[in-house]
Amino acid sequence: MLRRKPRGDDVASYAQDIVNTVREPLLMLDTSLRVHSANRAFYQTFKVSAEATENRLIYELGNGQWDIPALRTLLEDVIPTSSVFNDFELEHTFPMIGRRVMLLNGRRLRAGGHSELLVLAMEDVTERRRSEAELKAIETYAQNIVDTVREPLLILDATLRVRSGNRAFYQTFQVSCEETENRLIYELGNGQWNIPALRTLLEDVVPQSSAFNDFELEHDFPAIGRRVMLLNARKLQAGHHGELLVLAMEDVTERRRSEEEVAKAREAAETANKTKSMFLANMSHELRTPLNAILGYSEMLQEEAAELELAGFGADLDRISAAGKHLLALINDILDLSKIEAGKMELFLESFDLAELIDEVACTIRPMVEENANTLDIHLAPGLGAIHADQMKVRQALFNLLSNAVKFTHEGSITVDAGRQWMDGSEWITVRVADTGIGLEPGQLVKLFQDFTQADPSTTRKFGGTGLGLALTRRFCQMMGGDVTVHSVAGEGSEFTITLPAVVREAGAEPGAASPGADAGSDADADGAAVPEARDGAASAGAETPPGSVVLVIDDDPVQRDLMHRFLSREGFEVRSARGGEEGLRLSRQLRPVAITLDVTMPDMDGWSVLKALKADAALRDIPVIMLTMVDDPARGFSLGAADYATKPVNRLRLSQILRKHTCPNPPCPVLVVDDDAAARAVTRRILEKEGWRVCEAENGRVALACMERERPSLILLDLMMPEMDGFEFVDEVRGHREWALLPIVVLSAHDLSAPERLRLNGWVTSIIKKQGGSREALLHQVRDLLYDWAAPRPNLPTPGDEKLAAAL
Amino acid sequence: MTRILLVEDNEMNRDMLSRRLERKGYQVTLAVDGLSGVEMAAAHLPDLVLMDMSLPVLDGWEATRRLKAALPTRHIPVIALTAHAMAGDREKALEAGCDDYDTKPIELPRLLEKIEALLGGTGKDSP
Repeated sequence: MLRRKPRGDDVASYAQDIVNTVREPLLMLDTSLRVHSANRAFYQTFKVSAEATENRLIYELGNGQWDIPALRTLLEDVIPTSSVFNDFELEHTFPMIGRRVMLLNGRRLRAGGHSELLVLAMEDVTERRRSEAELKAIETYAQNIVDTVREPLLILDATLRVRSGNRAFYQTFQVSCEETENRLIYELGNGQWNIPALRTLLEDVVPQSSAFNDFELEHDFPAIGRRVMLLNARKLQAGHHGELLVLAMEDVTERRRSEEEVAKAREAAETANKTKSMFLANMSHELRTPLNAILGYSEMLQEEAAELELAGFGADLDRISAAGKHLLALINDILDLSKIEAGKMELFLESFDLAELIDEVACTIRPMVEENANTLDIHLAPGLGAIHADQMKVRQALFNLLSNAVKFTHEGSITVDAGRQWMDGSEWITVRVADTGIGLEPGQLVKLFQDFTQADPSTTRKFGGTGLGLALTRRFCQMMGGDVTVHSVAGEGSEFTITLPAVVREAGAEPGAASPGADAGSDADADGAAVPEARDGAASAGAETPPGSVVLVIDDDPVQRDLMHRFLSREGFEVRSARGGEEGLRLSRQLRPVAITLDVTMPDMDGWSVLKALKADAALRDIPVIMLTMVDDPARGFSLGAADYATKPVNRLRLSQILRKHTCPNPPCPVLVVDDDAAARAVTRRILEKEGWRVCEAENGRVALACMERERPSLILLDLMMPEMDGFEFVDEVRGHREWALLPIVVLSAHDLSAPERLRLNGWVTSIIKKQGGSREALLHQVRDLLYDWAAPRPNLPTPGDEKLAAAL
Repeated sequence: MTRILLVEDNEMNRDMLSRRLERKGYQVTLAVDGLSGVEMAAAHLPDLVLMDMSLPVLDGWEATRRLKAALPTRHIPVIALTAHAMAGDREKALEAGCDDYDTKPIELPRLLEKIEALLGGTGKDSP
């Protein structure tokens, strides 16, 4: 208890109240280190009574539990020389309360009439120390993980200062921890990380999206040379560290190099293949031209001989003519087969009446039938109807089977049966050609469809032919998704059956191979197969998708397709998707979409070819097409085509119109004119200068690129046909550059552009979406807005019953 | 006498077809490329044009387009002749304005049928 002066009673009790309220244990010691008093918290914490405490030497308290050497040092050595000490940490096992970490704070003070007192405050920080130790362990653990990662990692704080790097980072970039930590990333290693693209990324992209993936950075690092790094970043909340950015770098230099090599090899192979195809096409022409002359002149001579009644010449001329026709057939077969092998044989699918075709082939074959004294009977099932297939190939297949039948049958009968039937959920056409000829031995059957193989070598001498007929027939049927089968008994006859889908699909669109994103497409396929009468499959796709309400997404990438599909569906559009160009075209015919979004880069048939085919079809050419390509690599951005297009010679008015669209903010703005024709350049220059532009000229794409390195133009006027680097390549180059991706390019093309070139650039692209790097969301919204323009219900939109549409079919 | 303009760059094909046609009673004029074909058609106004498609200077499609675009020659029937027996060629030729289409090698009876169909029976009967 305090001894009080009467005058200070109130003040003293007030002070004691405060002291008792303090939740930290307090001890008041006099100069001899005897306890003057303690507060309530002290008695509670150390579980001692006031009697066992007051007036005792501190070291005697609680059976000497305070006799701690460190405390002795503190009280006897430190205190006398200074009036205060702070945060003296004391770890000690107290008998009553166990091992504790106490933080001691001391103040010497003179309290009124009392002699000098030492106030000793004790804070129990045992728990705090324990959790701090745990946290440290966790951090060490995390750092160990980070150090184990083989990819270099940098951890940045919100101000882009390096919090830490991992071992791989220090090793890869050959820098030390000291010259890295707490520095701004741009300052690292003499500014080797001060890369404009990285700045954009960290300062513009990250704050908005909290992460980025696979940003490709090519840079000359002083220590390790030119490298291609793939950067990935994640923002994360790291407790008391606040917000951190983890930047992972993957060195993909080698990978890119090998990818380039593969691309080069592929290119070389493609070139070789193209050369081969060219050779075949040329050879075809070269062989056929003289042969046509031989055939023509021999026919003329036959006619003349008949007129002049030179009976003696007739037989010989017939032989020349027949041999010539035979040679022509052989050449055609060999070329067809080479084309198939080179993958150059294409299908030209159309709907046609099967009965008519069979009649036609029968007509051609009838003279041969009669020659061998055979009979030919044709049975067509009622309702045989139409088939959607490659008419020429069906005709050739049927002709081959019939001519074989006729060739190997004498004084017998040949029967053709044609019908349609359902198998495995789709409709098939079968044409069976049966004869009562020589038939085939089982051993011969095996080799029957092999290229350049006849059942018996002696057959060649006896019956002629290349042995390619059946091989080709089978290849043709297989190309169309069908097959040819044979059943034969030697001496009794043979029976060949052609089976074809009633609606042949374009190659590469096999049913069942559908990926999830293409579900809609395969549904439409099934519908199409069920309605074989539909010309070009146009009336198919069922009632659930009336033409004029669907948006068709054509993209080879399932992820992009799915993304677009889901996004547009959410936006209220009925969406169908196609995995590639050919499927896209087929679905376009079936579904008559109100708009099509078309990916530019697809492997089998690129966007431009699809566009060309769409625009070549009278029924499809009015469908708005949105060309887009989403390249995951933001550095490349979303590639795009030309912004505008004008024909040469340039009409001044037209050019002025175009220029007005690309207003020049601070005249004179630089405009780059790329044209190999100096005269044309001069004309354009005059017009441009009159309009207040400053003209830069380049005679080809390569020179133009060099110009652009020196000065970035505000607009490019581009001729397409140029030596060295043509306009198309130039556009590709420019669009490949992040900084130039948005530059408007106006194509000035000569009148005699080839059709595909024209198609690549003219107004058929309703819109070319331009979007460089960054937000995919923005691109999607742009697509949506464009679609709203076309796909919103409009009274004048053609409906299936509409006569206009019917006429277009 | 029915006058036919044959536009064909291959000398043998030209010689052969013109002689065969002449023997059938047609009067045949010749042009060796697309441009001279267009000029000769305008100058001579033949009753029918047989147009090869792969021609130098101006190809057959373009030549046909020009013929069909010019008032004096617009009514002259044009039969496209092509060596490429490809589906789609027919459509391409018809799109260019050709009235009919035949493939090479020429089968004379078939070609004559087409010629007569286009001339509406006014040709061969009154050579």
